Amino acid sequence: MGAVTDDEVIRKRLLIDGDGAGDDRRINLLVKSFVKWCNSGSQEEGYSQYQRMLSTLSQCEFSMGKTLLVYDMNLREMENYEKIYKEIECSIAGAHEKIAECKKQILQAKRIRKNRQEYDALAKVIQHHPDRHETLKELEALGKELEHLSHIKESVEDKLELRRKQFHVLLSTIHELQQTLENDDKLSEVDDVQESTMEADSKP
Amino acid sequence: MEHAAPSPVPLGQAEVFQALQRLHMTIYSQSVSPCGKFLAAGNNYGQIAIFSLSAALSSEAKEESKKPMVTFHAHDGPIYSMVSTDRHLLSAGDGEVKGWLWAEILKKGCKELWRRQPPYRTSLEVPEINALLLVPKENSLILAGGDCQLHTMDLETGTFTRALRGHTDYIHCLALRDRSPEVLSGGEDGAVRLWDLRIAKEVQTIEVYKHEECSRPHNGRWIGCLATDSDWMVCGGGPALTLWHLRSSTPTTVFPIRAPQKHVTFYQDLILSAGQGSCVNHWQLSGELKAQVPASSPGLLSLSLNQQPAAPECKVLTASGNSCRVDVFTNLGYRAFSMSF
Repeated sequence: MGAVTDDEVIRKRLLIDGDGAGDDRRINLLVKSFVKWCNSGSQEEGYSQYQRMLSTLSQCEFSMGKTLLVYDMNLREMENYEKIYKEIECSIAGAHEKIAECKKQILQAKRIRKNRQEYDALAKVIQHHPDRHETLKELEALGKELEHLSHIKESVEDKLELRRKQFHVLLSTIHELQQTLENDDKLSEVDDVQESTMEADSKP
Repeated sequence: MEHAAPSPVPLGQAEVFQALQRLHMTIYSQSVSPCGKFLAAGNNYGQIAIFSLSAALSSEAKEESKKPMVTFHAHDGPIYSMVSTDRHLLSAGDGEVKGWLWAEILKKGCKELWRRQPPYRTSLEVPEINALLLVPKENSLILAGGDCQLHTMDLETGTFTRALRGHTDYIHCLALRDRSPEVLSGGEDGAVRLWDLRIAKEVQTIEVYKHEECSRPHNGRWIGCLATDSDWMVCGGGPALTLWHLRSSTPTTVFPIRAPQKHVTFYQDLILSAGQGSCVNHWQLSGELKAQVPASSPGLLSLSLNQQPAAPECKVLTASGNSCRVDVFTNLGYRAFSMSF
């Protein structure tokens, strides 16, 4: 008992003071009523005093029990709060990770959007040029026309050649005939001259 | 509410001069440090200012964090272009390119590590260098500017290896095509030329002003800005800002903006452009204007996206132009604040 210093006692009493205003008074009253009970004279008074003391004691016990329960409750609340705190920390970490994930996804989506826009830009330019199938068809049609026309040209050229050759043959035959006629004329002239000279020779 | 009347302080000569300087300042170029935490800006007086992005973006930023950490005089003329390698800052303007160490740049009295001048044909006038481009694969730097040639400088030895000729007027901008080692250059003559670095020859020419969809003869034919994404290219300036498909050399989308654009870049699925109007325009590849964010300078000349992996918290877009302010856009949608010289 002497080990507990006065300071400790005063500090403890001041600490408990807020709650224990009623309890502190009750304990003092109990001590006083105990002394009064010891000094009481009559039986009924003593008995009623004894009852009163018991009730004060039970009140004190009750309030102590209440305080113990509150203390228990506080401990459990603390644990509960610790648990909730840890859970919140976990979810914060999770949210951070999700944010990082989402940022990566945003970058990816931006890249995709950029690619799409590049594609669109090129597609617009390509649309200006006519369709490849149509152009191919036009090319084919033009090719066929060209072939057809070249056939016609060939046949016309052949005909021309033939006519030319025929004319050539005709002309050369006419020429030969002319030559032959001229030759014949010349021959007949020469014959005539010879005949006349022979007659002139034979006459005198 | 009563406001205390400020007592008039007589401004000295120096302050008046500084104020005038700031009024007439143009910031031509920007570059982000390899660690991602600093931004260098070069202006028309030849000064470089280093801003601390991490300090300006932090939650306890004050007015002083928006001022440069150091400002020093780097060139005698305007600094038109700056790039950063993983240890150096390269700045170019009046015919020379200078290299600075990022690790030393914050200390007072920083001196350049080296300065080189590409071999010019005439030694009488020194043409300016308008654009710098790093080619990481062969560790070289390409310079282009007033003498209509592209010079390649090897970064290790400092020697000038190639001089690519083909442009008939000075070159404004350069871009690197990643997959094949090709360089695109655009200039005053209105043509975008593709150069293959391995054979050192011009492989493709796109004369932008000859295409009806994008040419705007009243603006001229100059190409002010160029950006490429391997298969696609966007260029603008005198002609309208257009998206081109490089393999077929066809213009696919014309972006409907009248003001000539001075800087353009690809970002994720958007195209960001800035120019004479005081806004940064966000375009989708289909030609739609997704957003137009106003900036504080009356005309913008340079955009820089800090995508250094070492500092993801400093991932911002910075814009600078015809004023002494560099606007910082933290979320691309609005201007968060401005830093100024």
